[in-house]
Amino acid sequence: MSGTSVRSMARSPFVLVVGAVLTWFIAAFLVWPNLNILLATFFPDGSFSGRAAEKLFSSQRAIKALGNSFLLAVALSVTVNLVGIFIVLVTHYFRIRGSRILFLGYASTFIYGGIVLAAGYKFIYGDKGIVTSLLVKMFPGMDPGWFSGFFAVLVVMTFATTTNHMLFVANALKGIDYQTIEAAKNLGASPWTILRRIVLPMLKPTLFAVTILSFLTGLGALSAPQVLGGRDFQTITPMILTFTNSPTSRDLAALLAVILGLATILMLAVMSRLERGGTYFSVSKVSSALQKQDITNPVANVVVHAAAYILFAIYTLPVVLIVLYSFADGAAIQTGQLSLGSLTLDNYSRVLTQQSGLRPFIVSVVYSALAALIAVGGLLFVARLLQKYRNWVATAFEYLLHIPWILPSALLALGLIVSYDHPNPLVGGAVLTGTTVILLIAFVTVKIPFTLRMLKASFASVNSSLEEAAAIMGAKTLYMFRRILLPLVLPAAAAITALNFNSLLDDYDTAIFLAHPLVQPLGLVIKANTDGAEGVEGVANTFVYTVLLMVITGVTMYLVYGRAGRRGTSPKRGRALPPVSSAAPPPAVTAVSGEDSKLPAAPAR
Amino acid sequence: MIRLDNIEVSFGDFTAIPNLDLHVRPGEFFTLLGPSGCGKTTALRTLAGFIQPAKGTVRVDGKDVTRLPSDKRQVGMVFQNYALFPSMSVWENIAFGLRVRKEKPADSDHLVRDIARRVDLSDEQLAKNVAELSGGQQQRVAVARALVLRPKILLLDEPLSNLDAKLRHQLRQQLKDLQSEFGITTVYVTHDQDEALAMSDRVAVFNKGVVEQVGTPQEIYDHSATEFVCNFIGDSSALTPDFVAEVNRLSGADLLTDANSYLRVEKASLNADGGTVVGLPGTVTSRTYHGLHSRYVVHSHGADIRLLLREDGSPQPEPGSTVTVYFQPAHVLQYHPETGAALQREDQAVRLP
Repeated sequence: MSGTSVRSMARSPFVLVVGAVLTWFIAAFLVWPNLNILLATFFPDGSFSGRAAEKLFSSQRAIKALGNSFLLAVALSVTVNLVGIFIVLVTHYFRIRGSRILFLGYASTFIYGGIVLAAGYKFIYGDKGIVTSLLVKMFPGMDPGWFSGFFAVLVVMTFATTTNHMLFVANALKGIDYQTIEAAKNLGASPWTILRRIVLPMLKPTLFAVTILSFLTGLGALSAPQVLGGRDFQTITPMILTFTNSPTSRDLAALLAVILGLATILMLAVMSRLERGGTYFSVSKVSSALQKQDITNPVANVVVHAAAYILFAIYTLPVVLIVLYSFADGAAIQTGQLSLGSLTLDNYSRVLTQQSGLRPFIVSVVYSALAALIAVGGLLFVARLLQKYRNWVATAFEYLLHIPWILPSALLALGLIVSYDHPNPLVGGAVLTGTTVILLIAFVTVKIPFTLRMLKASFASVNSSLEEAAAIMGAKTLYMFRRILLPLVLPAAAAITALNFNSLLDDYDTAIFLAHPLVQPLGLVIKANTDGAEGVEGVANTFVYTVLLMVITGVTMYLVYGRAGRRGTSPKRGRALPPVSSAAPPPAVTAVSGEDSKLPAAPAR
Repeated sequence: MIRLDNIEVSFGDFTAIPNLDLHVRPGEFFTLLGPSGCGKTTALRTLAGFIQPAKGTVRVDGKDVTRLPSDKRQVGMVFQNYALFPSMSVWENIAFGLRVRKEKPADSDHLVRDIARRVDLSDEQLAKNVAELSGGQQQRVAVARALVLRPKILLLDEPLSNLDAKLRHQLRQQLKDLQSEFGITTVYVTHDQDEALAMSDRVAVFNKGVVEQVGTPQEIYDHSATEFVCNFIGDSSALTPDFVAEVNRLSGADLLTDANSYLRVEKASLNADGGTVVGLPGTVTSRTYHGLHSRYVVHSHGADIRLLLREDGSPQPEPGSTVTVYFQPAHVLQYHPETGAALQREDQAVRLP
């Protein structure tokens, strides 16, 4: 028997060593920084003080930002659902001509999100953007700054965060037993009635979950409001960033971060409560696969087709233009006018050969690779132990390791800054703030919950008889781990590493707080380029970065998930991971925060 | 009541049903029986209106419904997994069809409660979520949901196939009772021969999209029309020409030695119980104890004759011992070696090609 009592756990030296390291890590990087934020906010001099709150409520800017964040969160919950449900239905439920191509277009957010997406929209629709330049030429009276403020942020974030719908809602839809639809037809229901009364109600739990994710994404938005919000539309997280940079207002930043954290926890609690409320999952044991439905009304059919292709254009236009203009020269980028002659590989050779162009890319690759490897390597042991031992100590560890999942990254980052800007015994008396290590720690930290869940799942999928067989033949714990378990979970571990690497590569939200001024990762450079600091060359560089990121992300996604469809023909090279939606945080089952970077693909914030 | 004429169903290149004729009588419990992939479910779905046949007509009560959608055919259907709507309560599930028809709420409620009472669902159960019901209760909800619209025909698509053995036996009886009570014409699909024999008025045995035989359970069992039916239904031993020749010699029967011949396990015995029996000597090669009875295999004239012996406490022969196998020559089932068609007694004078 795998010992489930705490005492039997404590008898294994392997467990003790892993446990000691884990305890230190959790205490130093997950618990203390966040606790410290609370102390710094409410007990600045050792005794309780409400000064931070007073300051906050007397700052009009801060109050406005709070209001804006909630406005964005609510609006986003509505718009993402409208667009998300529509695209899921046209790609998976209704018989639409060219639905595969539509799917590819809508799925572009899988390989293109976060700061990169926000920057991409700005370069295209912003005041100096390619499309805007063309439009201004056609309509000279037009306001070049038309694409900014609340409207722009909402549009960009809406189209960037339908990824959750594509993952989870589409999967829930596929899980619907087609017999229920046939039964409804047999009972005389029209297609509209079936959709409204049968299909959508069955998607309700998943829709609740993705709505809360959208709400949280809106609440914690950073890059989209920063890049496109303009002066009039600022939200909490950019405000936290501003306040953090000046020591006198750091308590305000901390308070805002705490408010954000509380709102997040509250929403997640609501979500898990709603989940427990009712299961609408199919009660059947055998179910038949969903078949696509015809839209019988010809007018409705034309309208839906048209809407589907307009959305397709909205989704793909930025991607197409970025790829195209990444080959263009400065003049073409500035005027928006592109001729075949102005397409060269100059931008690529500049980025890939010049020190200044290549450096941010290398910084990001090194940081992401290190963080991905450390997270997976370290958690391999932890996940194994948590999967094997089931007792209160293991449960407590597991909950603590989920802290990064329930707290916004701004709060985590701020916690690290505040806690390690002076020598701290927890890390051997070192100062971490301002060093290159602190960002690596943050990167590892934010990847822990996702990595842990995925690794645990893959350990759990190993047939336990294999272990028992090895044990009967006398294999010791470590030997068994090395020879039996590790080879089996290695493909999954490699896939998780790749996904982690992907999502960290264009990170902005964490890096903006913690990056070393001289070692700036890609996300920060892209953001700087949107401000126009580096001129046209900066814009061209960003296009190249974006294309390279899309290629890397696309290849990784393909290697991890893409071959799933061909599993039948090459069983040996089957996918290393369960389908995204079942192993990646299934929102209907686990508490997932809107922290987009925790999902395989990072939508804009 | 139901007539399928010259029905052909194809999926792409694959012809699931080449040419099907079926006639179901009013009030009958009619079963489509066959192995998986034989086309029985396809036939049912064609009848329900979920599949459009490439050729042929479907008639319900004399009316051609071939081109009508499912809900205009007056057929109710109980699906393999019941297909209850998980997002609705039991009441809402049953009332679904009525509400789609825009019946008055008061009438709907009355009809729902009435049908629920008849299938033994309490008011308390009506308020429940379908997930809270047991398998048997779910089945009754599915039946009620189909019957509340007063269809002319009830279609049942393997409704017992995903239940455990005990529940299956229990629900089989409940389903049969419900059908008798409502007296509704019922078409039932199953691959379980036991179910088909126990429940049906008549059975159609399907094989590769073709109906091999239609008849009462006893007809298809005792007088299997084809070799396929003989093998699919019940259990029998294949006889060798040598064995058949010996039967002819001993009894004076005129069985054909070059036909494919079978003997049902329960028709053979180790005791001569009188009647026109013939006895052939053989050696017991194996015995398997089943509690209620033992299964024996007796080797005789090249054939392995399987038979059942009731475990009534009397001494039983052990493997290796010599015994005599008794049976009536008339119980030997014979089939044309090429067409597989049953050879009737009067046909047996005709020489085989």
